[in-house]
Amino acid sequence: MVIVKRRELTLAERLYLPEIGRALALSLRAMFRKRVTRQYPEEPLPTNEVTRGQPRLVVKDDGNIACVSCGMCEVACPAYAITIDGGETDRAIEREPKRFDIDMLRCILCGFCEEACPKDAIYMSDELELADFSRQALVYDIEKLKRPRSALQKRIDYVNKLNDRWRKPSSTR
Amino acid sequence: MAETLFYALALAAVGFAVGVISARSPMLSVLSLLGAFVCLALVYLLAGFQFLAGAQVLVYAGAIMVLFLFVVMLLNLADLSKVAEHPTRVLGVHRVALAGGSAALLGVLALLASRRIPDTAADTAMLARGFDELEPIAVALFSRYLLPFEAASLLLLATMVAVLVLAKRARAPQGPREQAQAVDAHGDARGDASDAARELEGAGLR
Amino acid sequence: MPELPLWLVWVIKAAVIYGALLSVAGLMSLAERKVSAWMQYRIGPNRVGPFGLLQPLADGVKFMFKEELVPAGANPFLFRIAPALAALPAMLAVAVIPFAGEIELFGQRTTLSVTDLPISSLYVLAVGGLGIYGIILGGWSSNSKYSLLGSLRASAQMVSYELSLILSILAVVALSGSLDLRVIADAQQADAALWNIARAPLAFLLFVVCMFAETNRHPFDFAESEPELVGGFHTEYSAMRFALFFLGEYCAMTVMSCLATVLFLAGGAIPFWPDAPWWAELASFLVKMSAFLFLYLWVRWTLPRFRFDQLMRLGWKVLLPLALFNLFATAALMAAGVL
Ligand code: SF4
Ligand code: SF4
Repeated sequence: MVIVKRRELTLAERLYLPEIGRALALSLRAMFRKRVTRQYPEEPLPTNEVTRGQPRLVVKDDGNIACVSCGMCEVACPAYAITIDGGETDRAIEREPKRFDIDMLRCILCGFCEEACPKDAIYMSDELELADFSRQALVYDIEKLKRPRSALQKRIDYVNKLNDRWRKPSSTR
Repeated sequence: MAETLFYALALAAVGFAVGVISARSPMLSVLSLLGAFVCLALVYLLAGFQFLAGAQVLVYAGAIMVLFLFVVMLLNLADLSKVAEHPTRVLGVHRVALAGGSAALLGVLALLASRRIPDTAADTAMLARGFDELEPIAVALFSRYLLPFEAASLLLLATMVAVLVLAKRARAPQGPREQAQAVDAHGDARGDASDAARELEGAGLR
Repeated sequence: MPELPLWLVWVIKAAVIYGALLSVAGLMSLAERKVSAWMQYRIGPNRVGPFGLLQPLADGVKFMFKEELVPAGANPFLFRIAPALAALPAMLAVAVIPFAGEIELFGQRTTLSVTDLPISSLYVLAVGGLGIYGIILGGWSSNSKYSLLGSLRASAQMVSYELSLILSILAVVALSGSLDLRVIADAQQADAALWNIARAPLAFLLFVVCMFAETNRHPFDFAESEPELVGGFHTEYSAMRFALFFLGEYCAMTVMSCLATVLFLAGGAIPFWPDAPWWAELASFLVKMSAFLFLYLWVRWTLPRFRFDQLMRLGWKVLLPLALFNLFATAALMAAGVL
């Protein structure tokens, strides 16, 4: 058991008025301190590769998206935000999605899709802003989700670095 | 013009006064009383007694009626019906009689006191100067009308004390801490509380 | 300048003063947010107009277009008139505040106040005190326990603190021997040592404390008391009626600040400049008034709210005896010829 001894208040403190004066002086000084407000739309939040923004699809250097519509992300998504209709293609990988929708109103930016993807095709971008006039406009299709690899490169490198922790030193990729 | 206004105000005051006793909800009744007071103040104003009008609004409308409203809002209306059925039993006949008697006594005293001093030239002078200046009012209040004034305040004080006595209920100690304190102080707290309760019961209060 | 009839001058005067009062009330709603922001290292509203100066206007427009709700079980008549009852008294009370001495306006000599009454200080208290009805009735008629508790507290607080307020003013009235605010202000005109703040410092202190309680402001804003009572008496109000309550509150604050300026800081008097022109007096009056208004905000964003029993104890066991003592001491000192 701890017995806490209350400090006896001095007379000045018990009179209350001097303490009010002290408090007022404190808040007056606060008025002239540096402001911490960020003027948001003009001064956006700084982002970096750790920022987990909205998921985006990687466009490879040949102009096609890396996704093979395997559906892993669709399954992994806890918010059921992803809808994929698979389709065939003549290219060597044979498959690509005909439809790849992410409902941004459902997406909780958890990053599970990024983790689940076996083809490094979906990554969390640093895009955070989301506003529109209708719900339908916020269901993003492939065209809206496409980003060139270069735009996501920093995040890709970061995720690879993270994943290195789980790889045995002997095994090579 | 002034006459019409006076009659209109007087009529309104009477109307409000009727509202006080006829209104179903105690809230409306209090508000009617407020209206009556304001009408009275306006009548004073019409007669040129600005100070009186101001004091009327300040004291009655500003303070006393607020208290009334406070009480009305606190009232549990279910308890009111009991008072309505047996007003004397709840309040205690002898207490009401005592209070009424002393009020009457004080009133008579006040009346006598104000009668004894004859009108003086100072009074007429005061009337001529009007009631707007503070000094004549103060002089009148603290010389000629001193006794009635004091009697009235004594009456109010007596009423206040009486209400306190009536309203104060012996409260059984609540919570372990208070109980412990009560036991420390009196040895047996519960005995004290129930004694007080019995006494109240005898007075017809419970 | 053309000569105008007296009544027209009077109308112009009244319009100007009421326009000014409403603008001050509007600006106070902005100042409240600005000052609170500054004290919390923030910037505050700055989007509408330069420095957010048009924010009150934007708020007004917003309030106009909001939906008006009357809760089920409310007393519709009282519920509807309560906000007006809260706002009106403060606006009426400002009529007798002497902003400056005699001025020459369109060829008529007149005083810079809507009207002059020989009992103006009593008038301000009496009429200003009626503002509480709006709060009480608004809370009672809302049919909500939070509102009811808010107005209950407001009425108890009002009764407790008005006493001390009046007693502290009485000391000042005794000092200048008149109930007329203009006379009270002029009596302090001569030099700063005669200002009532110097002659009756205790009365000033009491007045300032009671002034906060009278206008239901922090640290005595038990009628609202957001953490306990949601919004207090105006919990159920919406749209313009809600705004009216705030208009009333800010007007009451302005009136109280004016009253403090007149009673204790000699109105528009400027030290060491006895025959200042009326515009200088008006400016100095406004500066002093703004200082009190700032004090309102400053205290609000500094001190925590009292507990209700502390409020009552302070009112009855500290302020009232002090006010009585102060009145007595002032009278004794005056009788002894010191003051
Ligand atoms: S970030 Fe999470 S919620 Fe959003 S799409 Fe990917 S898995 Fe679904
Ligand atoms: S997990 Fe990757 S490859 Fe599979 S469907 Fe999703 S984005 Fe395409």
